Amino acid sequence: MNDSELITVLREQRDKVPMTTPVEHVISRGRAVRTRRRVSGVAAVAGAATAVAVGVALALPASHPPTRPGAQLAAWTVVRQGGGGVRVTINELRDPAGLQARLRADGVPVSVTFSGHPNPACSGYSGEGDQRQRRHRLGSVVTGPVSPRHAMIIHPGALPSGAGLQIFSSFRHYPGQRGGFAVAVSLVQASQRCTGS
Amino acid sequence: MGTQQRDFAEFYRETRNECLLAILVSVGDRDIAQDLAAEAFARAWASWPTVSRHPAPAAWVVRTALNAGVSRWRRRHRETPVPNPALVADRPSAGPGSSVDPAIMAALLRLPLRQRQVVALRLFLDLDTARTAQVLGIAPGTVQAHLGRALATLRGELSPIRQQEARS
Repeated sequence: MNDSELITVLREQRDKVPMTTPVEHVISRGRAVRTRRRVSGVAAVAGAATAVAVGVALALPASHPPTRPGAQLAAWTVVRQGGGGVRVTINELRDPAGLQARLRADGVPVSVTFSGHPNPACSGYSGEGDQRQRRHRLGSVVTGPVSPRHAMIIHPGALPSGAGLQIFSSFRHYPGQRGGFAVAVSLVQASQRCTGS
Repeated sequence: MGTQQRDFAEFYRETRNECLLAILVSVGDRDIAQDLAAEAFARAWASWPTVSRHPAPAAWVVRTALNAGVSRWRRRHRETPVPNPALVADRPSAGPGSSVDPAIMAALLRLPLRQRQVVALRLFLDLDTARTAQVLGIAPGTVQAHLGRALATLRGELSPIRQQEARS
């Protein structure tokens, strides 16, 4: 199979995934988007002044520059919080090695991969009770955001002895909910090859 | 139906399937891809006077859908502790209802994300190298390199299957 034949085969797939949403539904949804924009445009003017004032008061976090020139968000940011928490915000699935190094420097034994697969050097944490109890423990190590932009807060002090974290990207379904672009977090056995310690 | 709506309906009819496939190879899930595509087309209609003058409106739709996918990911990943990462990562993902050749879809989904996006824009949307580079925010040479690597990988994976099919 040469390149030309391969490209032909690939292009033949285009009509094999029919988009079934009727155009009327799309247009109706588009009208709702227009209406929402008109409303939110008014609110944005009022909110801008507040955002500037808050931004000055925040410490500059460790971060990775965005992919595209002109983009406003860093690919990720890491900020140490009072009480030992580490706030992680991931805006783009880029530079996992940089994020991993930054988190390890902040005392989180962690493996980070954004390749769509977990690190094969890592194995699931097997200590302390059954799977439900370990999942409960994960819920105390990784807590929810304090605002919609803050993706997660890691509490390294809550990690069980011998455990680390694995953060990896996935484009898959999860039981009981629909998937998509997702970053999964799980407890793993801490080791030199997986979590660096 | 006004002129604008007729134009948009024609654009939708002509490009919806290729846009959906381009999004599908990036997100790997048929239902999510369809949701993202519908949302992106809706936003295209909401800004149709602008989008219709875009040099590649279909690329605008795909880019918008992928951005929406990232927003969706931001909202959802906070609630996804994974009991067994290996099982999740290895699960087949084209999803029910997809009639794309499963071997081709599986091979596409094994490519790195950026290579998949380049394949989608260059081959499914027929964008040229310069436009693909602009949409993805990378250099034209990088687009060519990604496409070359992707085609080499796909050829290596699909050629034996095709030969086997030809023999049987």
